[in-house]
Formats: sequence, structure tokens, C-alpha cells
Amino acid sequence: MKGFLDYVPGNSFLHKLNPLTKLVLSLMICVACFISENHLLLVAIILLNLAIAKAAGILPRGLMLLKGLTKISLVIFLLQLLFIRGGDILITLPLNLLITERGVAMAFVIVFRLIGATMPLALMLSITQMNDLSNVLVTKLKIPYKYAFTLTTAMRFIPIFANEMSGIIEAQASRGVELDTRNIFKKIKFVLPLCVPLLITSVKKIEGSAISAEIRGFHLRTRESCYKGYPIKKSDVGVMFFSAFLVFSAIIVSGA
Amino acid sequence: MVNLQDVFFDYGEGETLKNISCRIDKGEFVAIIGANGAGKTTLCKLLNGLLKPSSGSVVINGMDTGTTKTSTLAKSIGFLFQNPDRQICKNTVREEILFGLELAFNDKVLIAERLENTLSTFGFQGDSNPFNLSRGERQRLALASLIAVEPEILILDEPTTGFDYMESMKTMGMIKELNGKGATVIMICHDMEVVLDFAERVLVLAEGTIIADGQTREIFRKEEALEQASVLPPQLAQLALRLGEGFEDVFSVDEMTDAIMKRMNKERTFEHERFSGLCTG
Amino acid sequence: MIRIENLTFKYRNSKKNALENIDLSIEDGDFIGIIGKSGAGKSTLTYVINGIIPHHYQGDYYGSVKIDGDDTFDKTPSELSLKIGSVLQDIDSQMVSSVVEDEILYGLENFSIPKDEVEPRLSSSLKELGISSLRYRTIDSLSGGQKQKVAIAAILALRPKMLLLDEPTSELDPKSSVQIFQLLRDLNKKHGITIIVVEQKIMLLSEFAEKLVVMSEGKIVFNGKVRDVMKHSSELERIGINCPRVVTLSNRLIDRGVDIGKVCINLDEAEAMARGLIHG
Ligand SMILES: Nc1ncnc2c1ncn2[C@@H]1O[C@H](COP(=O)(O)OP(=O)(O)OP(=O)(O)O)[C@@H](O)[C@H]1O
Ligand SMILES: Nc1ncnc2c1ncn2[C@@H]1O[C@H](COP(=O)(O)OP(=O)(O)O)[C@@H](O)[C@H]1O
Ligand SMILES: [Mg+2]
Ligand SMILES: [Mg+2]
Repeated sequence: MKGFLDYVPGNSFLHKLNPLTKLVLSLMICVACFISENHLLLVAIILLNLAIAKAAGILPRGLMLLKGLTKISLVIFLLQLLFIRGGDILITLPLNLLITERGVAMAFVIVFRLIGATMPLALMLSITQMNDLSNVLVTKLKIPYKYAFTLTTAMRFIPIFANEMSGIIEAQASRGVELDTRNIFKKIKFVLPLCVPLLITSVKKIEGSAISAEIRGFHLRTRESCYKGYPIKKSDVGVMFFSAFLVFSAIIVSGA
Repeated sequence: MVNLQDVFFDYGEGETLKNISCRIDKGEFVAIIGANGAGKTTLCKLLNGLLKPSSGSVVINGMDTGTTKTSTLAKSIGFLFQNPDRQICKNTVREEILFGLELAFNDKVLIAERLENTLSTFGFQGDSNPFNLSRGERQRLALASLIAVEPEILILDEPTTGFDYMESMKTMGMIKELNGKGATVIMICHDMEVVLDFAERVLVLAEGTIIADGQTREIFRKEEALEQASVLPPQLAQLALRLGEGFEDVFSVDEMTDAIMKRMNKERTFEHERFSGLCTG
Repeated sequence: MIRIENLTFKYRNSKKNALENIDLSIEDGDFIGIIGKSGAGKSTLTYVINGIIPHHYQGDYYGSVKIDGDDTFDKTPSELSLKIGSVLQDIDSQMVSSVVEDEILYGLENFSIPKDEVEPRLSSSLKELGISSLRYRTIDSLSGGQKQKVAIAAILALRPKMLLLDEPTSELDPKSSVQIFQLLRDLNKKHGITIIVVEQKIMLLSEFAEKLVVMSEGKIVFNGKVRDVMKHSSELERIGINCPRVVTLSNRLIDRGVDIGKVCINLDEAEAMARGLIHG
């Protein structure tokens, strides 16, 4: 139940890439997913995502993500299946529901897209520290620190949220709330009432972290403040080219 | 009651707990002490099934935590976390305590009675909002909703952290009272005065192993083990250690006063005797 | 130098004053302990010193707080932080990074510490707190006490000339608590750094602090040399503050008619006293 977006330290090739490169790679994978309607390419991208997870030493997390996304996708798949119409009718169901050829094809595309495009972002967050990301945005892309900080704080909210949630679930399970049940509906019933305290503690945490930033010289920060350098290395250039290639092939394949 | 056998545990980066075996019987009041990061919280989370041992077994009241859900174990274990905020989930103090009671009992009359009792013993205003309370009060609320249920086993992760002296004493008094009614109490604590005053037995944890286990007073004489666990004995116990011979059993203010006065008298009698001896000789 | 004059503060959404008629002067080089029941206003007092009040929490504010002559109204908390390093009470929400190293780097970067000085400061502050081995760990995976040490290390690395710590040892083991105070004493004695520390463990304060400020219900009720404040042990008891057990012991001996000279406030004094009594 532990978070799935928080940073996992490591020493892999991917960990050592420039944060910017990681950002570009994950964004380009997303873009490729949205351009392409080719099932094969989409499946290939999902496999690529798993390969990335493996290379970063977080394969279990990658698989967990895949599993979670597949569950959500199932619902979406069914909806799409029933509502997109076109081409030959495959099955006719009661209530005037039809399953069409195009429906099936598109439902697969949408589900694959969802999975293929969500995974790289989550994986990127798992192997990139928010500080590094905001530093790179400030030093390389010349985004004002204030905005970069706001952006990364907003992103940090996600793991804080996830972490608080797992903490709250632990605490409530320890008092006898059946949160550790495998029954998903039961679980939702128990989790929903916890949203208020979750929000309160998370907001409190973010507020505390803002105060803490302030009393550690947040307003004194300048572009030159950053200690770590973020050089663009050969490997970064290589990965960037690979990202471009990915988008390019998506265009070619879908154009063809 | 509580039985750990050859328990090992790791979070995935080296062993956090190594070869832990111990037995805690019904009605004991046990303190777990040790350095930061020694594995105290981890050990307690193993007891209520939040964490599962990587090898060995943890058995609570005959239930193996490996195969029992935490929410089931919760019927006999009350657990106070190092951070109380996560335990609180209702909008008023009354609802919060009620929620804990409803999870444990069905009897409406009993619930109502316990609720009012708890509110009055802890001195809470029923309709105040938990999130407006101070940290210390929130912690007391989390504890109150546990104590209301009167669990068979009470596990407390640093129950007096962030409390002032009065709050500590009041709260520990209530815990002791529950212990008097037969509950087993297992408490992590960094305040050795509290350990001395309330615990009967102490487990000393260092780097994931139990390096000492015994009666409280006995443990506070084991300088080496305490040193290894980054623990300093209570102030007067330290004083007694420094004074050495004749102060072996001295821990409290009363005992120290008596011991000093006794030695004073002895010394005086001794001098007196020597003096009179000189005169006669 | 800190001058607090006739300060009264009420949080916006609260009914009673959190601070009432506070007058307090803190000189450079002081080592001051602040103690009081929970809710007495200790944390609020730290907020008015480091500028979190009035810049972050608003409310009714009367009186003035001056740091080296500058009113805290005219300086942002960031500017004040150049002089005063603060460790806040709530450890969990104090973290701005996900990895220990970055947490320490954060302030150093903001202060634009010369690049060649960063690494020595980073590693020495980790070492001083005995957490060098945690450098590359994620903060979420630390134990409570380990997190607290990180929070303290992050401020020590900044080497401010005044240190303001709110219950810095609440989750620390006994030895680490003493080590923190030894560290504070070193900083105070060797580098003349002003130390202001809110602490519930009276034993540590009477061992290490020079002056003691006792708060109750938003007011300062005692303010003076530790030994002088300890003389009021029964009044302290009444407002919910215990004395170190050696003080209780001294008073007990005095009650029994033993002449012990002065009340002992720490272990060394108590040992000397006891030896003196026993050996004539
Ligand atoms: N979720 C986690 N993931 C990885 N390591 C962890 C995790 N939680 C704790 N640890 C590590 O396990 C060890 C024991 O932690 P634990 O929380 O049990 O310590 P503790 O004895 O309770 O310390 P404290 O007195 O500071 O609360 C520590 O080194 C800690 O950093
Ligand atoms: N953010 C806040 N908003 C409203 N009231 C507060 C806030 N923080 C503290 N208080 C109130 O101010 C008083 C003093 O609190 P605090 O300074 O935290 O005490 P201490 O640190 O001595 O425990 C308490 O009555 C508390 O409820
Ligand atoms: Mg702990
Ligand atoms: Mg406080």
C-alpha cells in the first residue's frame, strides 16, 4: 500500500540522467502514445515502460502500476466498447447496445494509451528528485524559481498525499477498521470517510513545509544558488535522440 | 499472550530486526528502550500485524500475525502511534471516541456509558473539533479512544512525547490503572523517569537485537547494556551509581534521602568511636 | 540581541491571547531555556522571534519585537533567518526535500554559501549529529528520532549567530538528547552563539542552560538564572512544571534538617553534596 510515486534512491543509468532528459523522455513517450493508433506500437511502448522500470531497478513498482492501471482500464474499456460505434457489428446486446469492430479497436487504443502514457510520468517521478527537477527548470530552462518551486511543490503533494494515506490506513486498520480487506468495494466504503483528515493533515504538512522553506531563506534564493551542477552528458543526448525517434516513428506509423 | 520466536525483519535494505525471541504474559507492563533507529517502532508494528516478519513467528493470543489481518488483531490490541494525527478521523471529540467504541462493541448501553466515562476522566469537551486541539491534546484524544475500549493489550509508541510533566503523569496514571485491571501494556519510551516509575519489565533494544531483558531496576544497573543502547539511567540512579557502595538499591528520592542519612549517621558514629578510642588509648 | 517589549498576541481564530504582556531581553551569547505546560505559548513566542508571526500567522498584535534593532515587521522571515536559525516543533512538516542530503543543502543553497564550503558544512553537520550514514536515505524511511536529527542538522549547517529550537529532543533517545545539548553548549561557549531552546526536559535545562524562562498561560512567570528559578520549586510544581529529582532530593534533605549549603540543580553538584555529607 506504500506510495507509488515517491522517490526511490538508486544508482542506475536512468537515475544518473539529467532530470531534464528524464522529463523529456517521459513526455515524449506520452506524446508518442497520443499520436499513435497502432496497437502494436502502443504495446511496444508499454513494454518499453517496463524495460525502463527494470533498468531503474523498480520493476516491482512498474508491475504494480501496470496492474493498477489495468484495473482502471477495465472499466474504461467496457464503457468505450459500448459507446464507440462504427464498422461491422460484432455482437448485439439487449437494451440496444452494440459492440462494433471499431468499438473494439478504439477501446484497445484508449486503454493502451492510458497505460502507456501514465506509466512514464509515474516512473519518472520515482527516479527523479523534485529538488533536482526544480533546479534544472530554474538553471537550464530559466523558469523563475518561484514558479518552479510552486510546480514542484504541487508535484510533491502527490507523494505526501500517498504517504499520509498509507499512514492513515495503517492507523485506522490498527483500530479495527477493516481497511486491510481485499474486497475493493468494502475498502472504498471505509476509505472515503478518511478523505477529510487526509486533506487536513496533507494541507498542514504543505503549509509547514512552506513555513520551513521561508525560515531557511526561500526568498533569498537566486538562480546561482543551486549547488549541484546538471551537465548534459553524452548519455543525455543519446536518450533525447531516442525520445525524438520514438515520436517520429509514432508519426510515421500512424501516417502510414 | 505475546510470543515472538526467532523473528527477523527487513525493509529491503539490511536487517532491521535480528533474531528476536521473547514472551510477554498477561498483565505485564513492559517498556522497550533503545537508541533512535534501533527498531522499536518496527518491533511494535510487527506485534499488531502491520509488518510481517521476514522469518520467524509472532503470535498474539494464539493468533499468528502472519495469517491474521491487522483489523482482526485490533480487537485485542490497542495501538498508539508515534504520530497521533493519523488516528483521528472524526469531526468532534465525542464522535472520535464513539467510533472506536462502535468498532469494538455492539452493546449500546455499554458504549454510551464508556463514552461518558472517558470524556469525563480525560476532561474533554465532547463537541470540540479534534483538529483545533493542541498536539498534546490530540495525542491524549487518540489515547482516550484506545483506553475507552479497554483492550487486552495496549501498545504505545512514545506516549509521553510532546507532553508536559503534568500531562505525562496524568496519562501514565490512566495507563497504569488499565494495567491494574489486567491489561498488558507494551510501551516505547525515551523518558527513563517514566520507565522507572511505571514499567515493571524493560526490554533493551540495540541495532535490532534485544541485548537485555529484565526487571526495571535490574536493567538500570546494567551500565554496559544501557551505554550500548544510548540510554542514560534516571538521574538518581546515575547518582547512586556514582556514589557506589551502599547505594546499590537506591532509585527514588525517598530511598536516596534515607541512604544518605544512614551513611551520614554511620560515618558519624564511626568517627565518634574512633575519637573515643583515641581518648581511652 | 533580541528585545521583546510589551507584546500581546492573539491568533485570528482564537478567543484568548496566546501571548500576554511579554517583556524579554536576550543578549548576544545567552543560553536560555524556555519551559512551560503545553499550550503555555512557548511555540508562539518562538514564532514572534523568527518572524513567522506576523508574516505567516495573522492576528491581533500589540507591542514590538526587535532583532538587533530591526523590527520583525520590517523584515521577512527569510531575511531574519540569516541571523536566527530556527528548528520548529513539528518535525514531519518541516521537511522540504525527499532525501536527507538535499534537505541540508536546501538552506545552504538559499544562503548562497560559497560552493567550496558547502561540502564541508554538509558533512560536518551530519557528523555532529551522528547521522552521516543516513545521507542518501529518503526522509520518509527514517525513524522519528532520525528525522528530528536531520531537522537540527539542516539548521546547524547554516551557522547562524542565534539558534532558536522548539523542543528539539522530543523524540530523541537519552544520549542523543544530551549530545544535542553538549553541542549547543559548545556552540555557545566557543563561538558565542546565542541559544534559545524550548524544552520539556527540565533536567537538561538545569544542566546546560544559564537562564530559564518559565511560561504559563501566555505570560512569563519566572525569568532568571536557572538556580534562582529553581528556588521556587513549589510554585513551579503548581503551574505544572516538575523539578529535576536532585532538586527534590535537596529540598527533602533540607526538610529533614540536613545542612546542604545550596540546592543542587544537576548531577555533579548532587554528587559533591552527597560525598560531602557522607564523608563529613
Ligand atoms: N519504511 C521504512 N523503510 C525503510 N527503512 C525504515 C522504514 N521505517 C524505518 N526504517 C529504518 O529501520 C530502522 C528502525 O526504525 P524504527 O522506526 O523501528 O526505529 P525506532 O527504534 O522506533 O527509532 P525512534 O526512537 O527514532 O523512533 C531505522 O534505521 C529506520 O531508518
Ligand atoms: N495556528 C494557531 N491558530 C490558533 N491558535 C493557536 C495556533 N497555534 C497555537 N494556538 C493557541 O495558542 C496557545 C499557545 O500555543 P503554543 O504556543 O503552541 O503553546 P506551547 O508551544 O507552549 O505548547 C494555545 O492556546 C494554542 O491553542
Ligand atoms: Mg519510533
Ligand atoms: Mg509548542
